Order: sequence, then structure tokens, then C-alpha cells
Amino acid sequence: MKRTLTVVSLILVLSMILAACATPAAAPTAAPGVEPTKAPAVEPTKAPAAEPTKPEPAAGTCPIEVEPNATITFSGWGDESEQAVYKATIERFKAVCPTVTVNYSPIPADFQTKLKAQMAGGTAPDVFYVDDQLMTAFAPTEQIMALDDFMAQAKVTREDFIPALMTIFTQNGKTYALPKDWGTLGLVYLPEVFKEVGIAEPTDKWTWEDVRTAAKKISEGGKYGGFCMGADWARFSPFATSYGNAFVSKDLKTATLDTPEVLAAAQFVADMFKEKSLVRAADVSASWCGEAIGKKLVGMTTEGGWMVNTMKTTFADVEWKALPIPSGPKNQSDIIFTNGIGVNASSKFPKASAAFVIYATGRDNQAEIVKTGFAYSTHPDQADLIVDPNDKAIAQGGLLPDTIVAYWGPNTGKINDAVSQALDRIFLGDQDVATAFKQAQAEAQTALDSK
Amino acid sequence: MHAEPSKPKQFHALPSIITFVSIFVVLLLIAVLNAPTMGGPKVMNSITVFFQEVKATALPFLAVIAVGAAVIGLVAARMINKVWGNTRLRRETLTGFAFLAPYLLVTLTFTIGVVLFAFYISFHNYDIFTRPTWVGLANYAEAFKGFSDSTKRDFLQALYNVLWYSILVVPIQTFLAIQMAVLLNKPMKGKQIFRTIFYAPSVTSSVVITLIFVWLYLKGGYINALFNSIWGLFGAKWTTVNWLGDPRGLIQMIVEALGGKIPSTQWFFRGPSIAWMAIMVQNIFTTVPTFMIMFLAALQDINPALYEAASMEGASPREMHSKITLPMLKPIISLVVVLGTIGTLQVFDQVYLATKGGPLKTSLTPVFLIYQEALGINGPIHMGYASALAFILAVIIFIFTFIQRRGIEKGTERY
Repeated sequence: MKRTLTVVSLILVLSMILAACATPAAAPTAAPGVEPTKAPAVEPTKAPAAEPTKPEPAAGTCPIEVEPNATITFSGWGDESEQAVYKATIERFKAVCPTVTVNYSPIPADFQTKLKAQMAGGTAPDVFYVDDQLMTAFAPTEQIMALDDFMAQAKVTREDFIPALMTIFTQNGKTYALPKDWGTLGLVYLPEVFKEVGIAEPTDKWTWEDVRTAAKKISEGGKYGGFCMGADWARFSPFATSYGNAFVSKDLKTATLDTPEVLAAAQFVADMFKEKSLVRAADVSASWCGEAIGKKLVGMTTEGGWMVNTMKTTFADVEWKALPIPSGPKNQSDIIFTNGIGVNASSKFPKASAAFVIYATGRDNQAEIVKTGFAYSTHPDQADLIVDPNDKAIAQGGLLPDTIVAYWGPNTGKINDAVSQALDRIFLGDQDVATAFKQAQAEAQTALDSK
Repeated sequence: MHAEPSKPKQFHALPSIITFVSIFVVLLLIAVLNAPTMGGPKVMNSITVFFQEVKATALPFLAVIAVGAAVIGLVAARMINKVWGNTRLRRETLTGFAFLAPYLLVTLTFTIGVVLFAFYISFHNYDIFTRPTWVGLANYAEAFKGFSDSTKRDFLQALYNVLWYSILVVPIQTFLAIQMAVLLNKPMKGKQIFRTIFYAPSVTSSVVITLIFVWLYLKGGYINALFNSIWGLFGAKWTTVNWLGDPRGLIQMIVEALGGKIPSTQWFFRGPSIAWMAIMVQNIFTTVPTFMIMFLAALQDINPALYEAASMEGASPREMHSKITLPMLKPIISLVVVLGTIGTLQVFDQVYLATKGGPLKTSLTPVFLIYQEALGINGPIHMGYASALAFILAVIIFIFTFIQRRGIEKGTERY
């Protein structure tokens, strides 16, 4: 009896030790959408698409001449669907440049941190995703390669790409990475809510005032929230730019958060919140505005192409529509999120690496990726290849002439956070628009001035 | 009794010199491995470039370490000299150090060497891919610039948050741990099972617990549902709280309930936010069991005869608890408070997983700020500044624990 008790206790202790030593990877995945607004900046699109089309024998030859018997490593982030897209890309690349071997090693979590550590230790991959954080870390000291010479060899120019996308990856006029995909925001709405309240559905000529009027009517019914928006710099940017000004001046030296245009846009949003035509996701007990739409808690919101996937997988029986971003008093403009692919400056096979980057971001490969519904092409002339009509409507915002990427230099994160926090304080009732944005202006200017 | 004539002091030249030289060389080698140089592929992939960089930026570091290494070498040589004559002592000493050597080498290279590197870097601007540049005390000054410039108050706000955390969590978790230990010390059926169950939160990975609590704390989650059903018993409605997203401070809510208002420029009067307190509750849940075990162990040491004598004298259970149990537990209480302070001032896991600095920076902590600055999460990499913050935090923790040990352990025997 005592023996069995000892054995059982030992087993219990052993299992507790095993539990304690379990790697964090065994942890349950975070509650879905805990930080949905951050997601777009890192992973612009998240569609687990229909199977990627089998790579057809690519038309064309290798973009540039490569080293013989080159072996390169390629790293990126992303879930299974993104990994599948890039595995297919590698297959297509192999058909075009058969002498190059590409080893794909995706890094699903903490990509930027891992890459900085690898680069510091000299073991970074040859080709990897580059976002604004990695541009800040690597470009000033040229840890990533300028690609202009290789682009010239491949007859690829900067004008081939959507202009706004190139801003992040440019330093001193040189190109340090090529954009691999992008996302933007569009007006997402539920037709049945509009029918129930008895107002006309939105059109692509709508302005923010129209949105406000409709939202007010919807919220008055008491059943649905009007327009869903969080205290989020990304959702606020289209308001600001369509009122006439961005967060920072074009020379990236002065913060413009206290300009009349931005203050007017902020006041508009604040007024909408006060009259309850604008609600936050948390106010309707959703974790993000996409979920609020899926659960039919609000009538409208601004979300991106990832809604296609979310609605298809989680809310398949909810009918929804999308339109390009509404316009403001000065113009119609949107915000773009983008990431690129760059080449390690210490790569042993720079030509092969550059060839891969140029191919992956080139027209042939981008067309194949668009067909899977995973992302938009980075070439403006391929916008009509988008399959889903809602996706196509949302993407229109990215092609508008005044659309910007919210990139303000190395301290972009701090500046954008200052805007989000100002909106938070306004929604809380802690400060009025002028005080909140005065504080945000000071914080943003400090961030711009610091090295 | 007369003193033994002292043996003539012999100088064993060869062993002493070998000891000194080998220790000096090993320590210097470790210093070179930890030398503060530029990072990046060009330096890491070529020994010649690495030594060039060492020559360019790390010589003062190596010079200081060399002085320290020489002193340690001398001390070691003296010690070897003393025991060399006596064969038994000699064997014991050498065996002792042979067993210690692996651990010492690893600790010196990967812990102490790195700490010295960080201390040196804290006086420089260092972003890994360029050479560190000397800035003296500028990093330390920058940390406290928040007193004059409110846009630079991140570190001060982090300290403020973590001090509230410590002040609230340490007493509560110590008190709960004592109570639970006393409870589980009483003779009852299934005592062992309860001890195992109660200890489970400390064994489970903090990452897992944090993620579960994030889910529980959702606006539509179980905690709000629980409060709703409790409030419902009294016929009232519970307004659901977004626990991890609510930045309203404790004192601020009390003041506002009384009709006042704390302006946003006096943020330091607002107290810990609801989100921050939610994280405190979660941490107390996780750490109480660890300390409960320590108290349980200490309780076994208390002589039961004391309680018998006290009950014969007519003492009530409460008097026995406060006059016998607690004073006998004082050394362990001191230990638990010190460990608790050190742990709470360094809280990071929960912030990283649950709030990432939290609603309006109300759950920002020094370690999280260090992580952000060191890895360039929101801006360029600032390794030097992050190192300075780390050392400031270390000094603060040291001062706190020093005061606590003095205060609590007055008049008790030290273990």
C-alpha cells in the first residue's frame, strides 16, 4: 500500500516537473484578436486561401545572372497559408533559375528580434522579410544590400511598384528592399443593418459626413452600433489625410499633430464618439471591429483585405460588403501597410539572393499570389487581378494618389503610439481634443528629434 | 600551554606562478570573449576583423579587467602557496576547485562577463552594428529626464508602476502565503492532496497562466460573467469591465466617486490602473504557492510544546498565532518579503504577454522598457541606454532589499 502510494506520488511529481519544463510553445494560442489592430501592420493579409495554383512552368528566364551552384536561405514570418504561398514561389523560382537552391526557414514568432540577433551574430539568412523595424535596424549601417544595380540588370524600376510602397524601403535615394505585398482599409458594412434601419446603403462616393449621418441613424435604433473604430492611429490616419494633413511633415522633421487639419479630423472623430455614432469594439463586447461586424453588433467599420478570410472562416453566413475608403473635405486617401523582402549585405551569394527578391516581387510571381487571394500585387497595373469583389473594392484605396504609408523614420512606432494614446484619452473623457493632441504633438516631436 | 613555534613560511615558486598566470590568462580570455565591440557579420565571421575591433573599442574594458584579474590571480596564488606544503590540504583544495571549475567558467563567461560588458556599455551609445561611442553618464541622466520633460517620462512612469506593484503585491502575497501554510498545517483528511493542488499554479508555466488569464479577463469573459451573476443575486446589474484595457487609476476612481477629478498632468496621483491591478491579482495567484511551501517548511520547525504550554496558560488560538507562530516565522517572512520585492520589481512576463505596456502606459515596467530599448522594438536599438536602465533598477532593488532585511530581521537569529 505504502509502495503504491510512493509510486503514484512519484508519477505525480514527475508529471508536474514535465509540465513546468514545458516549452512556451505548448501554451494555448492567445485569445483570437487580442490585438487585432496591431496585426495589420505586421501581416497585412491573412487569407488561408484556396490551394495555391500549381506553379506552371514560368515564362521567362532568371532575372539576372547568378553565381553557379548558389544556395541561399530565405526567412519570413507567417502562418501555414503564407508559408504555402512562399513555398510555391520558391518552386516557380526554381523553374526560372534552376541552378539556385533556396532553403526556406520560416520564423513564425518574434521574427524581428530573432533576425536582429542573427544579424548581430553573423548568421542571418541571405534573403528575409524587411519591415520598418528592420529597415531602421539594418539600413543605416548597410547590413542589407542596396538593390538598384541588380534592378537595373533585371530591367526593373522603382516606378513598376505602387509609389507609396517604396517610401519605407528607400534610404538616400537607394532601394534596400522591394515590397512583397500590401494591405489597406476600406469601408466594410452589413447590408441587412441598413435595410433594417431603412437607409440607403453606402456608395463609393460617400464622405465621412455620410458615414456619420448613417451611423447616427443606425445607433438611434438602439440595436446596432453605428460605426466601429478603436483608438488606433491606423484607423485615424485616413481621417487625418483626407482632412489635408498627415502626422508628420514630408521632410520627416516636424510633427504635424497640432495643425488645424489634424485637429479638425480629431474633433470629427471625437464628436462622433460623443454622440455615440462611433463605438469602440470593446463597447459592443467584441475584441476587434471585424468581430463586431461578424457578430452583427455594428453597421459599419473600416477594415482591410483580411476581412475576406475572417468572414469566410468564422462568420460564413453573414452577408457583408466593402467599398473604397470614404473621402474627406480635402481628398480621398487611405493608409497602406506594407512589408518587403531584402538581401543580407554579407550574403555569400548576393546575385542569387537579389534574383530571388526580384522574382518574388516581380509581375509573374505577384500575379500568381493575387490569384490565391492571399495578398494584393505590388504592381499598380495588376489591381484588377484581385478575385474577391469586396477585396477589390478595399484595394482601390491603396491606389489613390494621396494615400500614404504611415512611416516617419526610425521612431515611427513611438509617433503612431502617441496618436493612439491621444485618441484613447479623448475617448476616456480625460482630455479634450486640443489638449490630447498637444501632448501627442510634444511626444511625437521628441521622438522625431531623438536619434 | 605555550604556542607552537610557527612553521617557517615557505614560498613555493612554481605552483604560485602557474596559478597566477593561468588564472590571469583565463580571466582575460573570458574578457576578450565578452569584449564590447561592434557586432554584425563582418566582425563575427572573421577573427582578424574581430581583433581589430577589440583594439579599436575594447582596450579600456580589457585594461580594467586585467587589473581585476591580476588581483584575483594574486589572491589565488597566495592561497595555493599556503596549502602547497601540506599534501592533504593541497589535494583537498585542488579537488575542490576542480569540481568548481566547470560551473565557475560557465558563470564567468555567460553571466558575470556579460554583466561587466553591460556595465561598460551603459556609458556608451551602442546600436550593435556600429562601434560603441563614449557618452559618460548621459544614459543615466536620460533616464531621469522625465522630471523636467514630460515627453521623456517613460522610465519614471515604469518605476512608479512597479513601485505600486511591489507595495500592493508583496504584503498581500506574504499574508496569503502565511494563512494558507497555517491552514494546510492543521491535521485534516486529504492534507497532502490539497497541498499538491494549491501548489499547482506555481509549477505551471507563467506564460500559460498569463494567456489563460487574458482570456478570462475579456469583456465577455468569465470574470465579468461571475461578477454579473453575483450582482444579479442582489438584483443589480454589473457593467462589464474591460479589465486589461482600463487605464483608470485606483485613487482616480475613488476621487471621482467623491466628485473630484485628477488632471492628466498629475498622472502620478492616479494610482495603479485597473489593468495593472488585474495583473497583480494574477501574479499573486501564481506566486503565493511558492511562498506557502516555504512557510509550511518553517512551520514544521516550531516546537509543538510551545503551543501546548500556551494553551495551558489559557491563550486563545489568535494569541497563539500572533505571539508564537509569527515571531518564530520572522526570518522566513524576511526572506519571503525580500524575494517578493526582487521578483515584483522585475515583472516582465505578464506585461509582455497580456498588455505590452498597457492602456496608456499604466502597466509599463522597467524590465519591459529595457526590452523595448535594447531590441529596438519601437525605434532604433539603444543598448547603452537599456544597460543604464538595468543598472539603475539593480541599484534600486539592492537598496530596497537592504533596508528590508535590516528592518525585519532586527533582533532575530540569522539562518
